[in-house]
Amino acid sequence: MTLQVYTASLLKEGLVAYLCIDTEGSYWSTDLNKAATAETDQAETLKSLAEQAERENIVIAAYAVDVELTENGTRPLENRERIRAYGPTITLPQSSDTKQAIVRAA
Amino acid sequence: MYQYSQDDHQLLQERVSQFRDQVSRRLKGDLSEDEFKQQRLRNGLYLQLHAYMLRVAVPYGLLSSEQMRTLAHIARTYDRGYGHFSTRQNIQYNWPKLEDVPKILDDLAAVEMHAIQTSGNCIRNTTSDPLAGVARDEIADPRPYCELIRQWSTFHPEFNFLPRKFKIAVSGAIHDRAAVAVHDIGIRLIKKDAGELGLEIYVGGGLGRTPMIGKLIRDFLPPHDMLTYLEAILRVYNKLGRRDNLYKARIKILVHETGEEKFRELVEAEWQEVKESKLRLRDEDIKNIQAHFKDPDYENLSDFDSDFDKELISDPDFAKWADNNLELHKQDGYRVVYLSLKSKNQPTGDVTADQMDAIADLADKYSHGAIRSTHRQNLVLSDVRLKDLHSLWGELKTLDLATPNYNHLTDIISCPGMDYCALATARSIPIAQALTERFDTYDYVNDLGDISLNISGCINACGHHHVANIGILGVNKKGVEVYQITLGGSAREDASIGKIIGPAFTADKIVQAIADLLDVYLENREDPEETFLTAYRRLGPAPFKEKLYG
Repeated sequence: MTLQVYTASLLKEGLVAYLCIDTEGSYWSTDLNKAATAETDQAETLKSLAEQAERENIVIAAYAVDVELTENGTRPLENRERIRAYGPTITLPQSSDTKQAIVRAA
Repeated sequence: MYQYSQDDHQLLQERVSQFRDQVSRRLKGDLSEDEFKQQRLRNGLYLQLHAYMLRVAVPYGLLSSEQMRTLAHIARTYDRGYGHFSTRQNIQYNWPKLEDVPKILDDLAAVEMHAIQTSGNCIRNTTSDPLAGVARDEIADPRPYCELIRQWSTFHPEFNFLPRKFKIAVSGAIHDRAAVAVHDIGIRLIKKDAGELGLEIYVGGGLGRTPMIGKLIRDFLPPHDMLTYLEAILRVYNKLGRRDNLYKARIKILVHETGEEKFRELVEAEWQEVKESKLRLRDEDIKNIQAHFKDPDYENLSDFDSDFDKELISDPDFAKWADNNLELHKQDGYRVVYLSLKSKNQPTGDVTADQMDAIADLADKYSHGAIRSTHRQNLVLSDVRLKDLHSLWGELKTLDLATPNYNHLTDIISCPGMDYCALATARSIPIAQALTERFDTYDYVNDLGDISLNISGCINACGHHHVANIGILGVNKKGVEVYQITLGGSAREDASIGKIIGPAFTADKIVQAIADLLDVYLENREDPEETFLTAYRRLGPAPFKEKLYG
């Protein structure tokens, strides 16, 4: 079995987010390490929560991502998903007084 | 530059207002994503790997300094302080929030800009020669024809749902700097021996997974018939283009499958239906548009400037830049200046808000307030006096915009690749940066001379790798990014599609592979004047293959 998380893009911001579950219920975070994980055959709950969040217009384009748990946290197996989780692999150009804070998860 | 009419302004304001309402309804949940997607794509808004991406149209690559300052303001206020110039001469923002997009479109509309025709299956932003109107080899200024195409194609009701996107390029010079051969329609302005102006019409060029060179279907079309003839081509395509298969939907496939001769007949037959319609351009229609593209008030200067010549001798770094990044101008005493967006410190085509503001200031100070973007992802100041070049160079150097590499090895076209793009299968920017770092030696790069190296991060070929002398295509092979090399491509008047040289290289091997190819060229060229492409065409792939694979 492969471990999975659910990812999507936040409707308002467009940013990459992951489905998380805590004692209060489900929510979406840009921090992959907070994502709820499930084995492939047990990911139905995550899938239905993600679909519900799409219907509620919180996120768009939700899908499952294969991951592994490492000592540094949750790590996507595919390169594309790692880039999506951690951001561009290049140094981004910097301007002096950009208004929008860069709020990506490390 | 074209100045909007009252109708143009109203059209744009209505469009922004519509989109504001659509965004509002989407955020409230009144529109589903499926319903909204069609609307946002018609306003240049994509959902990419990390965020929304807004592509702003720069019609045929012309920008005023005021527009550039607005682009800087948008980058600074609504994005992360930079923008990316694309191979369609447009600019893209990588991080806008959905709720901010109507405000961005408001700001753009205030300076006669928008994001229409930058996505979706419509006629996209028409591209052109960045030296239009100033090139010494120009036959006729292509900008009025581009503008006529823009006006005809904007919201054309019949062509709003084409089988696939549709790209047009227009060149008016002997040398093709607009890659017309690899567009759905490529137009070249030509003159008969008697001086009569006409248009060569090429159809069915394109890149992507099935690269093709456009076919000449009309060798001399009177300018007055341009729009009726384009209308006929688009009608044939709209009717017969394949909608059943995304990969076969471009007009190049239709032309290929129909056959050049048969396709020409279909267009000619359709043309008879519209030839005498209201779309037929009258003299005054062309003249009215041409009036928007008058020359600035050039000074009557000599093409010899003793101070400039002294500076070339006294300042070797200035001489290197002047040697590579200047182009002759039709007006004596002036030069065209290429601002390189290919420094080793920033991704290809990226410009920060600070740089944009500074470029706008430089355009006002040195070049009549005008800036152009190029399909090779650089910028141009088109009207700089010889006597100002040294001062301008000094300021560009401070801004890291004076890398002396125009049309040289490190003037790399690169798509955003998997660092940004949802479709990409491999990264391209890090490869471009590794190559730029490795070949950061002026003498070596200069000795290589005129050469093009383009990188795409997937088969869609936004990095135009097929038409580079050396092309690199990144693909995913069993979870690993690997890079395939093509050789022998050209996007110019001698257009050709590069051929794959052999098996792909991993990211850690690709830079050395390129170095090896360059060694073969240097060892085998007949003399320093023989370019890489000419040498490759003479030698064939064998010595290059031998060096790479033994």
